[in-house]
Amino acid sequence: MRPRLASFGDFRCAHCGVIVSCAHLISGVNNRNHCPYCLWSCHLDLYAAGDRLSACKAPMKPIGLTMKKGRNKYQREARGELMLIHGCIECKTLSINRIAADDDAETVISVFQESLTHGHELHTICMQSGIVPLNAEDREIVYTQLYGRYVEVPVIISV
Amino acid sequence: MNTNEEDGLGVVFRKTLGHYTVHTGGRELDCVLSSLIHKQLIYPTADPTSLRHTVRDVREIEHVDPVAVGDHVRYVEAGDGRGMITDVLPRRTKLSRPATVPGQRVFEQVIVSNADQVLPVFSVADPTPKWGLLDRYLVSAEAAELPSVIVINKCDLADRNPRLDEEIEIYRRIGYPVLLVSAVTGEGIEELKQALQGRLSVLVGKSGVGKTSLLNALQPGLGLRVKAVGAGKLGKGRHTTTHLEMFELEFSGALVDTPGMREFGLWEIAREELAYLFPEMAEYVGQCKFGLSCRHDQEPGCAVRKAVMAGAISPYRYQSYMRLREEL
Repeated sequence: MRPRLASFGDFRCAHCGVIVSCAHLISGVNNRNHCPYCLWSCHLDLYAAGDRLSACKAPMKPIGLTMKKGRNKYQREARGELMLIHGCIECKTLSINRIAADDDAETVISVFQESLTHGHELHTICMQSGIVPLNAEDREIVYTQLYGRYVEVPVIISV
Repeated sequence: MNTNEEDGLGVVFRKTLGHYTVHTGGRELDCVLSSLIHKQLIYPTADPTSLRHTVRDVREIEHVDPVAVGDHVRYVEAGDGRGMITDVLPRRTKLSRPATVPGQRVFEQVIVSNADQVLPVFSVADPTPKWGLLDRYLVSAEAAELPSVIVINKCDLADRNPRLDEEIEIYRRIGYPVLLVSAVTGEGIEELKQALQGRLSVLVGKSGVGKTSLLNALQPGLGLRVKAVGAGKLGKGRHTTTHLEMFELEFSGALVDTPGMREFGLWEIAREELAYLFPEMAEYVGQCKFGLSCRHDQEPGCAVRKAVMAGAISPYRYQSYMRLREEL
């Protein structure tokens, strides 16, 4: 078995240029894999999360949201964990990533809103990877997960 | 250098604490190094650019040994099976690594000189193979322009490593011969003998993989000391072999047994040339718009990265390349 890197250091976001800390105390996750401000990621993993085997290394855009519950991570569940769907802008690979504690909630909402504008197209490409994206009917779930209750927040940040 | 034609010629087979065993005409001589040749050899070894040899420098380089196993040397015989090395002849090849003495300047440690091939030895299990370490050995061998034959020992434990075939295939596809052997059952020993015939080969690998056991299996009369790996979960070796020694093989050729090396740094390899030392990458170097200055990291359209994504280069090997590049 090839060894996996134990931890990854702080990084500068390739999309917005902000220096991002990977400290667990700040992010609440062990493996920070996207910028908490713009939510963009980088295509570094190939076979498994954290293997850092991908040679693509292109930016990954947050294209939608999905739910994960239990071992079946691609199954949409009403009370699962809200996840970001990232799409590689070069090789079009999709991956799902946990939302960190310090991720900007309004930006998450704006990603969700934008995903609704190309609902059918997004649904098609996500389903090819076995990912079920959230749609307009899941608005309440998204708000409840992010804010604890369903409140409409005006979206002012565009991704 | 001293070039007295009357001096005898021999090959260094073993060295221990300033004493060198030189083989010459079927005899063994216990030799020391003449102070003059030691001085002549040690300064260029420690720092080729140095013009001033201060006392501090001498202290720092006291660990440098200018003679390596495999060196062809001239000697003066002193009788009673003893002698003094007066000259070291130019080396045809040399396998080197940076010597690690804490707090001191890094200097070259020639592991073996005049070798014909390198045999990185790994075990199927106990200890589990470290493929990143194999890549290091292979790169060092490529840098020394030595061919490599990968030896996977303990193949009788194959059921304990389900991903072995997949990993081996990566190296076979590149063109490295891979021999599956077992010092216990004797499997693959004949193929190994054929690979060793008529050549000076070097066994390298971490402790406990069975380098000395292989040597005993190849030539049972040697009866070299071996130990079982530790009983712990990781199956680590116990560093049984503690010195370098060359052995003449009955079926022609010679083999250098080395102590287990868990660390193997790269010596005098430039960042720019590293990709050439990965044979499967070499053909893609300079093929993108960044030319020879491409680092194959995040450059858009890099031909090496494209080849990795297309499956022509293993992502594991690419990762090894990136790790080694960070070190240089």
